[in-house]
Amino acid sequence: MAVLPLPADQIPLVLQDLLFRLKVRDVMTRDLITVRRTDTMRYARALMKTHGITGLPVAEQDRLYGIVSMDDVITVLELQRLDDPVEAHMTERVVVLEDDMPLAFGASYFDKYRFGRFPVLDRNGRLCGILTSRDISASLLIELYKEYARLEARVPAPAPRRTPGERLRFTVRRYDFENAGRAAHEIKKALTARGLPPELVRRVAIAAYEMEMNLVVHSVGGVLEAHIEDGLAEITATDEGPGIADVELALQDGFSTANDWVRSLGFGAGMGLGNIRRVADDFSIRSAPGQGTHLRAAVRWPPADTPPPASTTTGAEPPR
Amino acid sequence: MTLDDARRALAAEEIHLPDAARAREVSGVVATDLMSDLLTADRVGCLVLTALASDQAVRTADLVGAAGVIVVNGKPLPAGMVELARELGMPLLRCRRPMFESCAALARAAGR
Repeated sequence: MAVLPLPADQIPLVLQDLLFRLKVRDVMTRDLITVRRTDTMRYARALMKTHGITGLPVAEQDRLYGIVSMDDVITVLELQRLDDPVEAHMTERVVVLEDDMPLAFGASYFDKYRFGRFPVLDRNGRLCGILTSRDISASLLIELYKEYARLEARVPAPAPRRTPGERLRFTVRRYDFENAGRAAHEIKKALTARGLPPELVRRVAIAAYEMEMNLVVHSVGGVLEAHIEDGLAEITATDEGPGIADVELALQDGFSTANDWVRSLGFGAGMGLGNIRRVADDFSIRSAPGQGTHLRAAVRWPPADTPPPASTTTGAEPPR
Repeated sequence: MTLDDARRALAAEEIHLPDAARAREVSGVVATDLMSDLLTADRVGCLVLTALASDQAVRTADLVGAAGVIVVNGKPLPAGMVELARELGMPLLRCRRPMFESCAALARAAGR
């Protein structure tokens, strides 16, 4: 595994910029859990356990006196001296960071000193925070998300195609339960906007939702597409794996390969494929293990009557 | 039975219940924790009773055209679920009673 800091020439410019733009104070944890010099090591140990941390600054009124770590606790346990005051076992010569140092500097300390955490002092030498490697990775991730969002916003959106028919395309990710159902919702909205009867919309929405959930639960991720035109709504789900070993078996109600975790979310009862077939007028499935699955479901309705000749049309009323 | 009748029968807490939805007539009740069941139930305008406190309960209810969702067992609702109910305009309530007792109370209120 690579160790931070990577050589400067291996870090993308965006990241280098971030590491220098962010200050230690932007990233550090401010809610400090500290002990006093006179507290017992037993207390320090309990505090670490309660908060799931491995080190505590020893401080009184923002003045830093030292640091106790899990290593110190282990030593005290071996010596059976848990009731000693913290000051008897703490490290007094603490390596600290200053709050206005660039993050790049803070990151380099982890490599240089191999400690798990560094107390942070402000310009007056008062303890104001603590920096862990987790703080650094979390903040960099957040900043990178922002950077990506900025870059994505610059990619021009493809011009919508609203020819007689309408095509919608959604990328569906594996185990993305948070967004699962959004594609089906959009498809439902598009159908409702066309003034189709609710019962018809409902059948397409159910098929789309079941197909979307299948992509989320069973595939490595894939694409859900809707093609809507007068008299037809066609939904396809395409993924690149893992494929279905026995399609006939998978079509039987109650057959499921979903795990308990998926079931706890209310899915994976083995009704999906059967339900799609039930609500759709056309249904087809193509799949093989190691390859992807391609599912197609269509709902049909009698197309609207051809509009009356132009001479009798008075308004812009759409045909019903 | 209207949504408001159901709310009263269960002494349910309103999480998101727009005034316009109170008088909404419910066509029946689907009591399930399995969204797959709800998707196959074929009951437009039904009231969904579930112990599944997740976004998907609201989303599925919306997709099948349910009248509303009542979460039983007084389960804590994730913030996303409440937000989604507002976004989709799906009435969302919560009651303390467990599933069976909730069903029984609704049946009594419906005079069955």
